[in-house]
Amino acid sequence: MVSDSITRASVHAVPNNGGRDLGKKKRARSAKLKQCKLDVRREQWLSQGAMKNKEQNSVVKAGKERNNNRSFGNLEMRPRGGQIDGSIHHHHHHHDSDMESNSPNSLTSSVLESNYSETTFTSSSSSSSGGCCSGNITEDEEGGGDDGCLDDWEAVADALAADEKPKNTCPESPPEHEPIAQTVFPQETAIGSDQVEHLNPPYSRVIPKASGNGHAWRPDDAFRPQSLPNLANQLSLPNSNRKHYSCGGVPWAYNGVVPSSCPICYEDLDFTDTSFLPCLCGFRLCLFCHNRIMEEDGRCPGCRKPYEHEPVEAETSVHGGSLTFRLPRSCSMITRS
Amino acid sequence: MVDFARVQKELQECSRDIERSGIKVIPKSEATLARLIGTIPGPVGTPYEGGTFQIDIALPDAYPFEPPKMQFTTKVWHPNISSQSGAICLDILKDQWSPALTLKTALLSVQALLSAPQPDDPQDAVVAQQYLKDYQTFVGTARYWTETFAKKSSLGIVEKVQKLVEMGFPEAQARSTLEAAGGDENLALEKLCSG
Repeated sequence: MVSDSITRASVHAVPNNGGRDLGKKKRARSAKLKQCKLDVRREQWLSQGAMKNKEQNSVVKAGKERNNNRSFGNLEMRPRGGQIDGSIHHHHHHHDSDMESNSPNSLTSSVLESNYSETTFTSSSSSSSGGCCSGNITEDEEGGGDDGCLDDWEAVADALAADEKPKNTCPESPPEHEPIAQTVFPQETAIGSDQVEHLNPPYSRVIPKASGNGHAWRPDDAFRPQSLPNLANQLSLPNSNRKHYSCGGVPWAYNGVVPSSCPICYEDLDFTDTSFLPCLCGFRLCLFCHNRIMEEDGRCPGCRKPYEHEPVEAETSVHGGSLTFRLPRSCSMITRS
Repeated sequence: MVDFARVQKELQECSRDIERSGIKVIPKSEATLARLIGTIPGPVGTPYEGGTFQIDIALPDAYPFEPPKMQFTTKVWHPNISSQSGAICLDILKDQWSPALTLKTALLSVQALLSAPQPDDPQDAVVAQQYLKDYQTFVGTARYWTETFAKKSSLGIVEKVQKLVEMGFPEAQARSTLEAAGGDENLALEKLCSG
């Protein structure tokens, strides 16, 4: 259903793109309003948990506005109906799985969750706007004819979604949203124009933070946002990624971040490749190049030691699978505009 | 078949920070990317400082799984570089090559070799002997070669020598006189005539 709807949506989108800009602007404004409400809601929920200053909040808000703005453009492309249920259901599932994960992983997953918070928020607004559209199934669903009614619906639906969310998460996790979200968003607001470029950097920002707590992503961690480099792949040049590798002494050991492209052939790494870790030194490459090397030299290009044993294939659990699958989808929805 | 997609990207990346690294790689001709010309600046604080060294690069079919073939086209006085052919003795261009290296990183290594000669594993035995036994002379010669062959102002020296030869002077004498005159064609001619 998912891929189907996306394809349909994008096909749908092409001819309508031009006319929608106006609508987008309007929606941006309504998004702002909605965001206020959302923030107020969250404030209420979070006030028990942690103190926080206004500044932080406004930064987050500014960042989120951007996202909402974008997501709206995309959301209109979405077919309505079952899709909404699907995405909401996904959230529940996602939170459940987070809560299930127990102590050794808990920090990781809560950090992860905060990574996702961006996604979650946009998605929740997405589902709501989807919902409102299905409310007025008239033919101008795509056009600039969004009206106050629609905005109100969005606001209400969003407030509901905001209500729902904190209930679903553990009480400790909401405070964590703030600091991490803060590290994520300022960059977005600063860089501005190109959504593509900064999708990757914010995450790599987040990761050192996690490792600062002594909890780095394990290379084979199924919850690790392996999908992120993929994401950058789809949209950005490989060098944007590699550039900051070259700053570190040993590129491939750089905090375990998965490169977006194979360092040998410079082709983009797909999902199979990113979960492929043939050498303990952490040097990643695509399966094709690995095979090629195994035929001749047999040494890891990263450390020059011979590949000793069968490569370690990073495991993907059922939960991890659904997570990593889900994330790129929702993110690419955001970034497609 | 050389992975031209990779080579293309390497060239782009290299040209992107040419300001910082000073390392340049350009195709020898437009016909193919398998033959390239690399340029590295002589490292500061060495006898090669101020010089610009050209390196001929030939990519084997298996590149990047096999090392690029590199050879100085600019004459260099260095224990690990043949003063005759420009052949480079550097492990990463041989058995220590890794496909994770690039043309730029390889050229950086060559540049590092210029500042850190390894006379125990020489390419040019004469130079290595001089390096070990008479370091001052080595430095003098290396600097002289840099001045003579690797400086932009010296680029025309071959033509100038050729001109003097055409006037009837023996090549060796023409060259040495020209060198003594600091590349000044007229001064060299005067000297040759008076001498």
